[in-house]
Amino acid sequence: MAAISRTFASQLVNRSYVNVPASAGALKKAFSISSSSRDEETQAPTLASTKSRSSAGPLNRSLVNAAPNTNYQTRLQHTNTTTIPDFSKYKKDGNNYDSGRAFTYFMVGTTGFLSAAGAKATVTDFLANMSASADVLALAKVEVELASIPEGKNVTIKWRGKPVFIRHRTGDEIQEAEAVNVSELRDPQTDAERVKKPEWLVMLGVCTHLGCVPIGEAGDFGGWYCPCHGSHYDISGRIRQGPAPLNLEVPEYSFTEDKLIVG
Amino acid sequence: MASRLLSTAVKSRVGMAKQFVRPLATSANVATRTTTLSNGLTVATEENPSSQTATVGVWIDAGSRVESAETNGAAYFLEHLAFKGSKPSQIESLGGNFDAYTTREHSAFLAQTFNNNVAQTVDILSEAVQNPNLSAIDEAREAILKEQQKAANNGEQIVFDHLHATAFQGEGLGRPIAGTPESVQAISRDDLSNFIKNNYAGDRMVLVGAGNVNHEELCKLAEQKFGSLSSGSLSAKLAQKPKFTGSEIRLRDDTLPEAHIALAVEAPSLASPDYYTSLVMQSIIGAWDASLGGSSLLGSRLSTVVDKHHLANNYFSFNTSYKDTGLFGIYFATSNVTQIDDFVHFTQKEWARLSQTVTEGEVERAKQILKGSLLLGLDGSNAVAQDIATQVLATGKRLSAQEIEQAISKVTVADVHRVANNTLWDKEVAVVGHGPVEGLTDFLRVRGFMSYNRF
Repeated sequence: MAAISRTFASQLVNRSYVNVPASAGALKKAFSISSSSRDEETQAPTLASTKSRSSAGPLNRSLVNAAPNTNYQTRLQHTNTTTIPDFSKYKKDGNNYDSGRAFTYFMVGTTGFLSAAGAKATVTDFLANMSASADVLALAKVEVELASIPEGKNVTIKWRGKPVFIRHRTGDEIQEAEAVNVSELRDPQTDAERVKKPEWLVMLGVCTHLGCVPIGEAGDFGGWYCPCHGSHYDISGRIRQGPAPLNLEVPEYSFTEDKLIVG
Repeated sequence: MASRLLSTAVKSRVGMAKQFVRPLATSANVATRTTTLSNGLTVATEENPSSQTATVGVWIDAGSRVESAETNGAAYFLEHLAFKGSKPSQIESLGGNFDAYTTREHSAFLAQTFNNNVAQTVDILSEAVQNPNLSAIDEAREAILKEQQKAANNGEQIVFDHLHATAFQGEGLGRPIAGTPESVQAISRDDLSNFIKNNYAGDRMVLVGAGNVNHEELCKLAEQKFGSLSSGSLSAKLAQKPKFTGSEIRLRDDTLPEAHIALAVEAPSLASPDYYTSLVMQSIIGAWDASLGGSSLLGSRLSTVVDKHHLANNYFSFNTSYKDTGLFGIYFATSNVTQIDDFVHFTQKEWARLSQTVTEGEVERAKQILKGSLLLGLDGSNAVAQDIATQVLATGKRLSAQEIEQAISKVTVADVHRVANNTLWDKEVAVVGHGPVEGLTDFLRVRGFMSYNRF
């Protein structure tokens, strides 16, 4: 195979004469039929020279593409820079380049891991600066003693600067809230979606219309009434009449054994 | 070695050939016939009765790689001395030509004549091979030294000699074919006769006939003329695969107009099942020359970049294969010496692409080019003879044109990715630069870009 490919190499070599102006040397090269000429030694023994003569005018020939080729065998030597010193003392046995790789990759990997861990710690320190301080976090939650709120009473507490209504609902009130036909509501929500325990209703005391604080145990629906523009909320805090578009908002809250935690 | 393999393989091959249904458009007589003589010499012929001429040649599995550092150049001496005998000069009067050449792996002596002169030609070859005129050694020495001086102007040759020297450093394969000036000066007549004694053995030779040659007649002639050769044996050294060493040589000379540079990795051998895939990879990278008619319009991506940015005067991708190893790489010559690193960058990008994202279209295109290159080249009896010899010596058998075409057709994109991963991706690389090569990328960077962390 190498041999055939070399044939193409020799064609490539011939091609390099294509654009040479018609110098005596080039002409001689293109038209010589060498039977034993040693000038052509570097080429494979093809009849390349005679072939190019038979194609019409080798000096005007222009090829479209170059065939892949191997280098033709080089055989001549100019100086003795090809003698390489013996480096075998420094080489690994068995030509196994991979043997050193495991160690190298281990070192690179470990260094990378440690740098990444260090970088992460540095970045975390800086970002921690920006997070909320302890006194701010302390105000983020509010605890309410549930036992202190009798049934059927409202309590309003302050949480993150806003009023929160907590109502200990009676059984009647719960029934009333659940009996409402949801499909008729402006902002359809069942009572079950708004409370975690039916007897405890927890909502932000901010009217969804323009932000006034509604009055408890007032209005046409036995719930809350906003005096600013006349929005009526029912015993589940849902808007029933007036300009407010949405039900009163329910904050994040949870219960412990005897306490309500808002936030 | 090759012939030993053959003695068992030949019979089954002939039997198999009968089972194949021959496509209508092929010629009937393309099979290569091989016979092994009692001393191990293989006779291989491809008969073409319609031809007026024939090529007969002897190929010996003994090139410069079996020489020692002290006898480097011995095979090349013998090539020269083959012409000094009385009989080779007769070939001209027969109307033929006699040629000899030496490669790293082979010594070849071949002659092309009219078909009725085959017997005389074999006689001439027999003398050229077995009785070279060793007394003419000083004449040859002078000629070889002169040739070495002449070769100092051939940048491509310098680069490839050094590429082998550094990639296969400490190995016979790394030594230059023509020897070093020191070894050429020191070679004695005894060295040459020892070289013949140790290497010119029957089982390392193949007598090839192509064109209008009759196989049986050639076998008879071979028995007469080469029957006295010893059957010989391979030295253990040959069995060892040469080590490839990633390394670099820079021969900087800023007075030269062009920089000649080659980069290469270790490639599959001639006998490797990946050999044709490697050739396809070579075709994908392609070859290009600024003076080509369609220089900006070739299919290879690298050629488009190189043409657009004038990164080189010419380049070609090469795949030099030997029986147990090989070199895959790229050679380029450029006068744009401040942008050598750009050329290296884009080449390495293409190499990385071979293992990752080369497309089916590119592979198909390369396969077509490769088929054309390999098969269109088998157009003369010399080319055919050379092909037979190279294949028989390397693998013990010869693939027909159809088998080559099938082997290439079978190559898939996945094959290219796999072979490129095995030969190129993150592999050792040998670099040689000659001329104004200050701008050639630093070796460690070249090695680093044999793989990419990004794409």
